[in-house]
Amino acid sequence: MKTSASDRCRALLEQLSKYIDDELTPAQRRSLTAHLRRCPCCQTMADSLKHTVETCRKAGSARLPADVRTRARARIATLLSSGAAQRPRT
Amino acid sequence: MAGAVTKRPETNPSTKSHDGRGTDYASLLRAAQGGNHAAMERLLMKAQEIAYRFSLLVCGHADDADDAMQEALLKTYRHAAQIKEPAAFRTWLYRTVKNACLISRRKRVDEPARLHSLDEVALAPDGSMQRIDVEDPGRRPDQVMENSRLRQSLHRALQTLPPENRLIVFLREVEGLSTREVAAVVGISEANVKTRLHRARLSLRQHLEGP
Repeated sequence: MKTSASDRCRALLEQLSKYIDDELTPAQRRSLTAHLRRCPCCQTMADSLKHTVETCRKAGSARLPADVRTRARARIATLLSSGAAQRPRT
Repeated sequence: MAGAVTKRPETNPSTKSHDGRGTDYASLLRAAQGGNHAAMERLLMKAQEIAYRFSLLVCGHADDADDAMQEALLKTYRHAAQIKEPAAFRTWLYRTVKNACLISRRKRVDEPARLHSLDEVALAPDGSMQRIDVEDPGRRPDQVMENSRLRQSLHRALQTLPPENRLIVFLREVEGLSTREVAAVVGISEANVKTRLHRARLSLRQHLEGP
């Protein structure tokens, strides 16, 4: 039975995360990229999903605010200078 | 279409355990276990940083961040010496932080009204919220504004995810854990992580980019 275009697009959608994470086999990747070249809809979907993943990854670059960092350092100093800190439990 | 997004520095936790920022936790742990004071300090700071981000993004309780950071600090200090496999340390650390944050949450009866964006809030000493610094070295102001807009959109989109999927997105995308590490922290199979991550990505995409 011949697979319809929409079936192929649906199957491709399920593979997009693997494509983004570089987990497809070479053959799967070739097949997928060939489909993307022919299907503007899937191409747009793949691009926007990739952009979503990149946006998530950028969110990890936030630093602790200065006052939170100061309190964190103070906790460490207190812990390491305490008697218990001399002999951590083993 | 361009290829896959930039790969994480390390995806195989059996050999090394980096985060997306280049921290080699296994080496840091070995140094700390060997008596390197600076390494121990860095490790304890990392534990607190993770607890802080987790509190804000996953639990949504900025008020609990200090409690979670304290708990993560003590657990890391007390148990760092016992860990026999440094490569597994990062997984242990995230599981510890997750439990520390959940313990903090159990002290409260209310559910989070909303998640807080790393870009928009922080916990001030008096318990109130304030904006926090975002590291954008060398970025033009328009890029900073665009990134800020994106992060706020991401924050809103994250709120729409089921809690476990939000946790998976946090661990995998924001913190840069491998699929295997996420599975170990969450306590589900790698296949399940991949399925849930894919669904979460599609949902986030719809909220961030439209239908």
